[in-house]
Amino acid sequence: MARDPLADPGPLIRRVYAYVAYRVGEGAEAEDLTSETFERALRYRGSYDPRRGEPVAWLIGIARRCIEGGRLGPEPVATAGETADPLDVEGSTIDRLTLAQAVERLDERDRELIALRYGSDLSARQIAEVLELRTNAVEVALHRALARLRKLLEGDEAAQADTRLRERPSTL
Amino acid sequence: MRGFFRRKDEGLDLERELRASRPQPRDEFVQMLEDRVHETPRRATRGGFRIAFVGAITACMLFALAAVGGLGQAASAVGDVAVTAQRIVNTQGPTIVKKSSAASQYGKPAKKKIKKKIKAKKKVKAKKKVRRAGRPRFTG
Repeated sequence: MARDPLADPGPLIRRVYAYVAYRVGEGAEAEDLTSETFERALRYRGSYDPRRGEPVAWLIGIARRCIEGGRLGPEPVATAGETADPLDVEGSTIDRLTLAQAVERLDERDRELIALRYGSDLSARQIAEVLELRTNAVEVALHRALARLRKLLEGDEAAQADTRLRERPSTL
Repeated sequence: MRGFFRRKDEGLDLERELRASRPQPRDEFVQMLEDRVHETPRRATRGGFRIAFVGAITACMLFALAAVGGLGQAASAVGDVAVTAQRIVNTQGPTIVKKSSAASQYGKPAKKKIKKKIKAKKKVKAKKKVRRAGRPRFTG
């Protein structure tokens, strides 16, 4: 009998949710898509072939199709950065929100790579299997995506520093 | 703001930050989904059962057909179909048998016969000429 891909669902749920949330933003939509992914996984549980990859890679493949299916409607709206007031929260939370906002500003391809690598914690080889690319190509694309993200974050920081400088004379 | 996204040598490790700030689902949501997964029975043998069922039905049908000679009938029917198809597809004209009793009785085509006769006459004439040429002239 084949290995059950959903034998230990807890960590899988967290990894799939993280991937989906990086793609569409945290919140209800990410939860809906994660639920849909697991519903489909339960339906096709018997068709899972362990020779073709880890259960998490199989689930991420399903999640990707769920997201693509959901994309037929209107574009998802970012949630984390818009609902919270950065002035009211701790520094680490601000960092997290800034990072989430920067990730949301990346293009679709970069966001997907970031979601696969740092959301679902897949290796470059596993990402290559999911995206049907070569491992080397994935590594290069990830490096570029990180460079673009870093640039966005540095731009944000510079803009914020500029704003603070402009606000200072008025407070004095 | 701490500016955590500075370069690595200045203290930033963007990869570490991305992992640390990975979106986390609500515990209730995870629990609810875990329960859903656990309460759904696994149906791994479904595909295998289907294949076995189809195999059994096929075997039963073959056994029943073999019992009444259906297999032979089916084979001959297939053969008939093949022959018919060949007949339809075949565009070659009628085959003319050259060496047959009829052909030897009626001989060869007329044209060839005439030519041969002419050739034979010519040969005879030529022979006569040769004979005439060989004899001394009649002087009377």
